[in-house]
Amino acid sequence: MDRDIGKPLFDIFLLVASGIGFYYATTLPSITSAGGITPAFFPKLLSGLIFVCAVPCFIRDSLEWLSQRRERDYEAQNVRSDGPKSAVAQWLFIMALIIGYAIIFERLGYLVSTSLFCFLSVLGMVMLSGEFSGMSAVNKLKSGLGYLAFSIILSSSIFFVFTALFNIPLPN
Amino acid sequence: MLAGYIEGLSMVFQLGTLLAIAGGTLLGIIMGVLPGLTSAMAIALLLPVTFGMPPVMGIGMLLGALCGAGVSGSIPAILLNIPGTPSSVATTFDGYPMAQRGEAGRALGLAIVASFSGGVASMVILSLLAPPIAEFALRFGAAEYFSLSIFGLVIIASVAGKSLLKGLIAGFIGFFASTIGTDPIAGVDRFTFGQLSLLTGINILPALIGLFAISQILKNAFEYDPAEKLTAGKHKIDLARPRFVETFRNWRALLAGIGSGSVVGPVPGAGGSIASLVAYDQARRFSKNPEKFGSGHSAGIVSVESANNALLGGALIPTLALGIPGEAATAVLLGGLMIQGITPGPMLFADQSGTIYGIFLAYLVANFAMLLIMCLGIKVFVKVLMVPRKQLLAAIVVFCFIGVYAVDGDVFNIYLMLAFGVLGYFLNRYGFGTAPVILGLILGPIAESNLRRGLQTFQGDWTPFFTRPLSATFLLIALLLLAVTLWQNYRAYKKDLEEIKSA
Repeated sequence: MDRDIGKPLFDIFLLVASGIGFYYATTLPSITSAGGITPAFFPKLLSGLIFVCAVPCFIRDSLEWLSQRRERDYEAQNVRSDGPKSAVAQWLFIMALIIGYAIIFERLGYLVSTSLFCFLSVLGMVMLSGEFSGMSAVNKLKSGLGYLAFSIILSSSIFFVFTALFNIPLPN
Repeated sequence: MLAGYIEGLSMVFQLGTLLAIAGGTLLGIIMGVLPGLTSAMAIALLLPVTFGMPPVMGIGMLLGALCGAGVSGSIPAILLNIPGTPSSVATTFDGYPMAQRGEAGRALGLAIVASFSGGVASMVILSLLAPPIAEFALRFGAAEYFSLSIFGLVIIASVAGKSLLKGLIAGFIGFFASTIGTDPIAGVDRFTFGQLSLLTGINILPALIGLFAISQILKNAFEYDPAEKLTAGKHKIDLARPRFVETFRNWRALLAGIGSGSVVGPVPGAGGSIASLVAYDQARRFSKNPEKFGSGHSAGIVSVESANNALLGGALIPTLALGIPGEAATAVLLGGLMIQGITPGPMLFADQSGTIYGIFLAYLVANFAMLLIMCLGIKVFVKVLMVPRKQLLAAIVVFCFIGVYAVDGDVFNIYLMLAFGVLGYFLNRYGFGTAPVILGLILGPIAESNLRRGLQTFQGDWTPFFTRPLSATFLLIALLLLAVTLWQNYRAYKKDLEEIKSA
């Protein structure tokens, strides 16, 4: 069994989200059609079902998490790993970068935003995963320039393929 | 039927369509080679490219991608003992030992021909079974469609998530998302919050790309390890010679693979890994030399790879004939069909027989394209294994953005894609699965509109939904499945608890 506090937390999120969904469903106008079905019928039913199914999931996931506390404490005291930390950092970094890319995609135009995104994402992953450690300054610079070239070439070639070959307009 | 095939032939045998199928196959092969990238992701990324294409060309391209991804997962499985796709797990059992003996080219040649044979055989089965099933489904009314939607949702929820409840939750989330937008009967806006882009409901493409591509990218970002460098190792392969004679000499294993793939394929949610394991087990059972399995035996590779591709034809039967997809990749394909303006189901066979037979033929052509491309390009595909993962992730994100933006030039779709991507990541991480979400999104409107239409027809009476024979059968099977899966989940939970206590 997986010991992840994220599991019960995600179940709580589902419980809260289904509650909010149910609340908003009650605010929908009640125009009744045949069989007493209103536009709110399915949203209410589904948010109710999500809530009902999420309760046992929450109980089970919480019990699983709590039941392995001893093992977890032992590991916390005896096992030291940098892996998960860098993994979370990598995940958060990519997530933030993708959101940033979405924000600048239309504002800065496709070419600039995509080149920036590609360069920063590759560079960020390299730095966070520790690939740069142990490299000389010259090699770091060389790699950085390589990533920049990759980003510009990739963005430009995709731009050409989509706009010229597939006639799909991209933001300028 | 013959007229349909003739019309279909004229649609498929055009240069543009053939090139599209070959292009899709090539992309599918590349995606299948890379462990962590799925066939569902390949076709989700290809969907925007198919927008402007005629239906047979577009769907042919997507089928090519599925076909290509189905076989190329065997490359890392054979060379590195790492399955490129979940369905090629069993390929490692005999493929890797054979490669270790210095016969990697032979193993790949067997895998390619077995996969091709499985694909062609399943196309024949598909074209024989789908039309009568669709004809039978013409008898379905609103009650049957409602029950069938519920049946489809329950069956995929019961196998897609780590537990029934989690699978059901994922399905309900998709169903709930399908209610966003203008209500189809009363014309009331639901959960649009003044956002004009939501008036027509959740666009299926951002949802598909988010759930199957962005969520996978986030997973790969989490698991990215610079130390993990894939290389083809000591194996030097210039050309994979197709091993027709040796494959057909293993006819028992081939039949076991085709049979298992075709039977497991139509079962919603069963997926390629189950089909290939069943095929492997059956082939060993019917083999004269069962002890050789696992030591680089050709029959092992033939059974697994033929099942992998036969699965697709089987999965297409309920997808095309009833509008119920067999697994994640066909769920995405179903989305692709809808984007093309094709509503899968019995009416498709009645109204657009040329298109449907064209799709069958396109699937056949995709198998030939796969055979040719794999044999000629194997050297390049082995090199694809070495593409740096970080650059690849960035490129895939760019393709996702362009694909979603291309829908109608609305940035809102990009945010929608990201929302589904994050949701999909957590759903996968915590064992809910994403296939039920997309199925809920697709089947939700069918269930809701047919329930409301049915109630209008039956003047508000609910009983016909439970008394009409077909409708009652679907609901009964769904109920039985729920009960059985709940019981299995309960037993597994009890076993887990006992293990914890004893530890």
